[in-house]
Amino acid sequence: MRASLPISLLAATVLTGCASVAIDENFAEVERFARDEAGSEVRWLRSDAEREAMRAEVDRLLAQPLAIDDAVRIALGYSPAFQSLLAEAAVVSADATGSARIGNPVFTFERLFRSGAEGRELDIGRSLGISLFDLLFLPARLEQAEFRQQQTRLQSSIALLSTVTEVRQAWVDAVAARQVARYREEVATAAGTAAELARRMQATGNFSRLQRAREQALAAEETANLIRARQNATAAREALIQRLGLTPSQAQALRLPDQLPALPEAPMDEATTGAALLENRLDVRIARTDLDRTAKSLGLTRVTSVVNGLHVAGVRNSETGESTQRGFEIELPLPLFDFGDAVRAGSEARYLSAFNRTLELANNASSQVRVAYEGYRSAYDLARHYRNEVVPLRQNITEESVLQYNGMLIGVFELLAAARSQSASVVQAIEAERDFWRAEAALKASLLGQPIVPLTLQSGASPAEAGGGH
Amino acid sequence: MTTRRSFLAGAGLLAAAGTVNRTALAALPEPVIQTSAATAAPLTPPNGRPYDPVVTLNGWTAPWRMRNGVKEFHLVAEPVEREIAPGMVARLWGYNGQSPGPTIEVVEGDRVRIFVTNHLPEHTTIHWHGQRLPNGMDGVGGLNQPQIPPGKTFVYEFIARRPGTFMYHPHADEMVQMAMGMMGFWVTHPREAHPHIARVDRDFCFLLNAYDIEPGSYVPKINTMLDFNLWTWNSRAFPGIDTLNVRKGDRVRVRIGNLTMTNHPIHIHGHEFEVTGTDGGPTRPESRWPEVTTDVAVGQMRQIEFIADEEGDWAMHCHKSHHTMNAMGHDVPTMIGVDHRGLVEDIQKLVPDYMLMGERGMADMGEMEMPLPDNTLPMMTGQGPFGAVEMGGMFTVLKVRRDQKPGDYRDPGWFKHPKGTVAYEWAGAGLPEPARSDAAGSSSMPRTGGRQSVEMTVRKPTGHQGH
Repeated sequence: MRASLPISLLAATVLTGCASVAIDENFAEVERFARDEAGSEVRWLRSDAEREAMRAEVDRLLAQPLAIDDAVRIALGYSPAFQSLLAEAAVVSADATGSARIGNPVFTFERLFRSGAEGRELDIGRSLGISLFDLLFLPARLEQAEFRQQQTRLQSSIALLSTVTEVRQAWVDAVAARQVARYREEVATAAGTAAELARRMQATGNFSRLQRAREQALAAEETANLIRARQNATAAREALIQRLGLTPSQAQALRLPDQLPALPEAPMDEATTGAALLENRLDVRIARTDLDRTAKSLGLTRVTSVVNGLHVAGVRNSETGESTQRGFEIELPLPLFDFGDAVRAGSEARYLSAFNRTLELANNASSQVRVAYEGYRSAYDLARHYRNEVVPLRQNITEESVLQYNGMLIGVFELLAAARSQSASVVQAIEAERDFWRAEAALKASLLGQPIVPLTLQSGASPAEAGGGH
Repeated sequence: MTTRRSFLAGAGLLAAAGTVNRTALAALPEPVIQTSAATAAPLTPPNGRPYDPVVTLNGWTAPWRMRNGVKEFHLVAEPVEREIAPGMVARLWGYNGQSPGPTIEVVEGDRVRIFVTNHLPEHTTIHWHGQRLPNGMDGVGGLNQPQIPPGKTFVYEFIARRPGTFMYHPHADEMVQMAMGMMGFWVTHPREAHPHIARVDRDFCFLLNAYDIEPGSYVPKINTMLDFNLWTWNSRAFPGIDTLNVRKGDRVRVRIGNLTMTNHPIHIHGHEFEVTGTDGGPTRPESRWPEVTTDVAVGQMRQIEFIADEEGDWAMHCHKSHHTMNAMGHDVPTMIGVDHRGLVEDIQKLVPDYMLMGERGMADMGEMEMPLPDNTLPMMTGQGPFGAVEMGGMFTVLKVRRDQKPGDYRDPGWFKHPKGTVAYEWAGAGLPEPARSDAAGSSSMPRTGGRQSVEMTVRKPTGHQGH
């Protein structure tokens, strides 16, 4: 027994590994996930040199209009928020490593002193003990620890996925809001031109105050819309800046592309997204891991519920005048009052709960993907409808209105109203495209296992109808 | 161009008009179809009593056949395509290929038998506007006769009792059918010299009609009550209306029937005329007075006569100025005098093809050639020898020439003015400012305040901007 103890201790040390190894392994796994699933790379900045290098790279990226993939890259490799997430994951990982280690050996030293008729007696007792229980169950505990590491890796992947999704959506919002503001400006210009013309027409007696006021009211409303659109553009840009974690000077340098990417030729089809479902979902994987762990710990509990501690120690007692005593002691709690049934019942209930949670999660995950796909598909159809139908029709109306204006069948105000409606339809088209790209990011996140609030399509306010008539 | 739908097969037998009842067919004269909107030469009567034929402006006279002393015509009511003017075609309903239908010319006392085949999608009738006839031949559906169902042929027969100018049109769903162009002219010539009916050298006739066709569309809006946008003579609008070409010294008669929903003061330049006939027949000479404009009220006919003794190209038109315009917007704001500086560029940023118009008036419209919606006509158009004529609708030209041969109705071209007979620009010394009246409101309600200087606030027209 004495001889085997140090070997066991050594083995335990090797098996539980050192904490930094586990952290590195976990980070590598997150890196792999980012590369394979999120299509970007992660950097964990652990030194000033690394931080400086990345900062220089971000500055280079900001020298041109920021593409969506570069935004993701900055968020995953630079933003303090995500760096903080990585560090927190390392903390959790270190804790998990620690949890798998067996309790340190206990050294007891006893020095007893007796003065009596027979003189003074010194009684020294030494024991070096270790929880045998810890040793016996070390493989099981290592397994538990590995589960925790796995959980950490999966949780880190979810955090990464969530960051990627948020950054993609923030980028889409910022670009779209800017684009919308530009077209709102066109609408406001058309209304403003009509108002100015109306003002001049009243000045020369061609318009009444009422007619002029109508045109001015329209222009005033469009100006209000323009102010809102500009505010939205600023807010959306700042939201992106926050997600990227840019410094004030970098924020100033940030430029965005003039427009959203073109819609894909064809949408992803439902069969592909459905088939990819359960294998990939991180949350399902977490639930399964959790269930496995609960199952294992249930087995463990069955054994440990009755006897939940076994302590062995080598003892060496020296007593004055006596030869040294050597031996060992075993400490074993007796299951007299607690037969462990409560612990077993609790453990079984936890297992049942975990089992059903996993089932629920799997079902919900499947439903969430369907919802996400529906949102994605509707957004695609709507965006394409705006691009292929609504905007060309409005353009056509403007073109026909020019012909009607040429024939003096309509006046310049109707022509301007048509131009206004055309620009307003472009605004709606941009908003539909924005919804599509948001929904696309949500669908991708949903396929990988991050529940995202499903898309709801906004009802498009129909642009003011250009009146005909002659 | 007159075409025959089919040839006679055997004695009087023909295989015309798809859905016509076969038993009726045996006795039917062949319907003759017109495919051209040009003015046809007068139809000299090949048989029956002789008469001096009329010329239908942008129209034609229906041929007939004599059968046992009865003049037989065959009208086919059917959907037609009518060129309103070059560049615009209307999908109308008419008779024998055109709207209006052919002019029917007969002589007082003729027994007339008219076969009417209905190729419309709905029933119809024909009312012979102004005729004395048996009540059952008057053509009011439901009142005098059952309507003619689609695909059926009815026969009208009566004696043309009094000479004069008449019209024909449906009296079944007539609001729709007349808005779609169902109408035609009818002239009953006097059998012999009549004290109140002069013999004339040229005898023109046309119907006033109006359509509401949305620019870019083809079919008239049948529910329009008064706000028509195409004012036409024989379903033609300027510059599609043929000129009235006459020889100097000719006695000219023009017969005008009004089947629009408003009156039309028809005005001829350069000559005085007399109204020599109305719906009720020839006017007595002692009731006539000279005019240059005669109002033709709704549902009326007027027959005017004059000696074309002044050479030249004389305007002839409806005097309602909106009726000498083609399709135009009635809600277009007036832009006269409005300064567009700085705005044209703004508008062009939004609408690149925008051109400024109306700042100085609407004559721009007649001068500029700009793309219009499909199938419509410019509001004002036509190029004369001195520039844009700026007209549309009910407008044409009476061309009086000394060398126009009798019976020749061809267009002689523009008039060559003798030297010194065309208005010219004053090139002499500057003229003194005219004295201006300060007396406005001085009679019943004299002005109490000081003189208002209206001119001061009006921007005087300047040169072209953005054109």
